[in-house]
Amino acid sequence: MAEGGFEENRIGAWIPPGWKLLICVCLSALAFGARSVGLLAGLGLAELLLGLAFCPRGRFPWREGGKLAGWQTAVIVGLYLIRFGTEGVWPGLRTSAQLFLAFWPGMVFVQSVPAAEIARTLGRVLPYKTAFVLSTSMRFMPLVIREIRSIHEAQVLRGARILPRDLLRPWNWPDLVHCVLVPAIIQSLALAAEIALAARARDFGCAEGRTYWPGK
Amino acid sequence: MGDPILQLKGYGYAYPDTEGFVFEGVDLEIRAGECHCLVGDTGSGKTTLIQGIKGLLAGGRQVGEIAFPANGRVGVVLQNPETQLLADSVGAEVAFGLENLRVEPELMPARVEEALVRVGLEERLDAPVERLSMGQKYRLIVAGLLAMEPDLLILDEPSAQLDPEGLALLLETVRELKKAGIAFLLCEHRPEWVEGVVDGFWRLDAKRVELRGPDFGEEAHRISPVVPGSGSGQEAVGVRELAVEFADGKSLWGKLSFALGRGEQMAVCGRNGAGKTTLLRCLTGFVRPTRGEVRILGAEPRPEALRGRVGCLFQETGRQLFENTVVEEVAFTLKRLGMEGWEERVRETLVRCGIEGLADSSPHKLSYGQKHLVALACVLAPGPELLLLDDPFAGLDAERRGRVLGLIEAASEERGTAVVWSTHDRRSPPDGLQLILDLSGR
Repeated sequence: MAEGGFEENRIGAWIPPGWKLLICVCLSALAFGARSVGLLAGLGLAELLLGLAFCPRGRFPWREGGKLAGWQTAVIVGLYLIRFGTEGVWPGLRTSAQLFLAFWPGMVFVQSVPAAEIARTLGRVLPYKTAFVLSTSMRFMPLVIREIRSIHEAQVLRGARILPRDLLRPWNWPDLVHCVLVPAIIQSLALAAEIALAARARDFGCAEGRTYWPGK
Repeated sequence: MGDPILQLKGYGYAYPDTEGFVFEGVDLEIRAGECHCLVGDTGSGKTTLIQGIKGLLAGGRQVGEIAFPANGRVGVVLQNPETQLLADSVGAEVAFGLENLRVEPELMPARVEEALVRVGLEERLDAPVERLSMGQKYRLIVAGLLAMEPDLLILDEPSAQLDPEGLALLLETVRELKKAGIAFLLCEHRPEWVEGVVDGFWRLDAKRVELRGPDFGEEAHRISPVVPGSGSGQEAVGVRELAVEFADGKSLWGKLSFALGRGEQMAVCGRNGAGKTTLLRCLTGFVRPTRGEVRILGAEPRPEALRGRVGCLFQETGRQLFENTVVEEVAFTLKRLGMEGWEERVRETLVRCGIEGLADSSPHKLSYGQKHLVALACVLAPGPELLLLDDPFAGLDAERRGRVLGLIEAASEERGTAVVWSTHDRRSPPDGLQLILDLSGR
C-alpha cells in the first residue's frame, strides 16, 4: 500500500470544515472594511494565526503567499504611482494589503481541508454544479500555472521581451499581454472545456444533485 | 461470440454552422468481451465519433442510429489524463462517477476498492492522486469508470500518454476485463502498439469506417536502434555531471553527462515523470541545476541570450500561437530579432513547410496537424542552432509525422542545427540518431 495522504493539523482536525469555511469567509469580508494601519495589522496577525492553526504540517502556504503579496504589491503600488505620483504610495499599499488579506483565508482553507471535504461542504450550501466548479477550479490552479510558465518560456525563446528585467521597461508590457496573457486565457478556456467534458463523460449533470464520497 | 453492446448504423455528424459532415455512413458493431481498434488520420474525426457514442456532442447534426441493444453503460477515457482527474485522493477520484449516479455514500468504499483491484492498483483510498505515475493515473481513471459498471469502455489514444511500461500494464488490464465480458474500443494513431489485445481494426477514412486487417504500413514495429556514444565535432550541447534536486534532497536523475555536436541529433527517452521536460528546461537556462555544468552553444545557458538561437516546440503546439495570421505568427521572432528581409524568409519557410496556402489564415482556426506545422515553421524561420522538441509526434498520424521529421532532418543537415528530441517512448525517435539518452531507472 502507498503511504497515506492528508495529515490534519491538531487544531485544524478539531474544527469541522463547515466552521472553517465560515471563519475564513468572515475574515475575508473583514479585510474589505479594514482601512487603518491598526486594523490591517490586527487582521494580518489574526490571519497568520489562522494559517498556523488550520494548516497541516508542511502545507502552510508561505511561498505562494509571499509570491502573491510581492507581485500584487509591486503591480498595485506601481499603478498608483503612475496615476497619483508619490501620494499614491500609501493608498496603493493599503489596497494591496486589503486584497491580500481578503485572499489569504481562501488559500488557508484550500490547504487545510481535503478537496473531497471542500466539495461536500460547499455542496451543503451551494447548488451542486456551483460547488463542483468552485472545488474543481482550486484543484486545477497548479496545472494552469504550469501551462502559463510553459507558454512564457517558449515565447522568451521566440524573442518576446518578457523576462522580469525586460518588464521593468513599460514598453515591453504589451508583449506580455500579447504573447503570454492571450494564449494563457485561450489555454485556460480550452482546459476548462476539457475538464467539463471529462466530468460529463462520467455522467456529471445526468441526475439532479449528487451524493458525496464519505472519505477524504 | 457475446451479445452486441454497441451498434452504429449509418451514423454521421456535422458540427454546428458547417455544411459538410465530419464523417457519415458509419456502421460498426461491438460485442461483449471484444476489443476493437479505430485508426484514422489526424483530424479524421475519431474523437468526435467517441463523443457521439457517449452522447457528449452538443448541437450539430447527427444522422443514422446509435443503439445499445443491452442498454449497456459506456465509459470514455479522453486523451489527457491530467484534465480527467477531478479529485485529490484516490478514493474520491474513483467515486466521482458513483457520486453522479447518486450511489449511497456507505456503498461507495466497497465498489471503489473492487474497481481498484480490477485495474491492479493497490493504493490507500486517501492517497494523493498527484503521487501516482502517469500509467497509474490512467488506470485510476479506468477504475473510476469500472466502478460505474460499464459494458463498453472507450480509450482515446492511450499510447500518446503512456510510456511502454504503463501501456503494457494497461493492456494487461484490458485483457483481464475482456474475459469478464467488458467490450473495448481503442482509438489509436499507433495501432501496432496495441495489437496484442485487439480483435478487429477499423479505419475511419474518407468519412467512413471500414474494417481493415492489422496493416500498419512501413512504420510497423520499427524500433530505433540505440547508438551509444557521444556527439562529435563542434559542441552544441555539453552537459557534465548535471543533477537537479527537489526540496526534500531527492535527485531527479543522479548525475548526467553527455555532449552533442552541431548538426547531430539525440533523443531523451524516459517514462512519464522521469525528468525529460526538466532536462530541456535546464538546457534553456530556465531551471538552475543543483550541481554540474551545462553549456549551450559555447556558453552557460541564459534565456535572453538564446532568443532565436534555440527553438523550442511543445507537445501541444497550439499553446504557443497567438497572432492573427500565420504570416504574422512566423514573422514574430524575425521581427523581434530585427532581421533584415524577414518577409522573404517567412515566405520561404512557409513554402518549405508546405503551408503557404494558410498564410492569411488564423492559427487558432487550423486543425491540430496544421497548427503543428505552423509552430514548427515559427521555430525554424530564424534558423536556430539548436532545436528542443518535447514529444513532437504526439497526436500526429504517420503522414504528418513523416512531414515533421523531414523538415527537422533537413534543418539538421542543411543548417547544422543540433536537435534534441524528448519522448516517453524509445520507439518514437527516428533512426540514425547520434545519441539516445534513457532517463528511466536513473
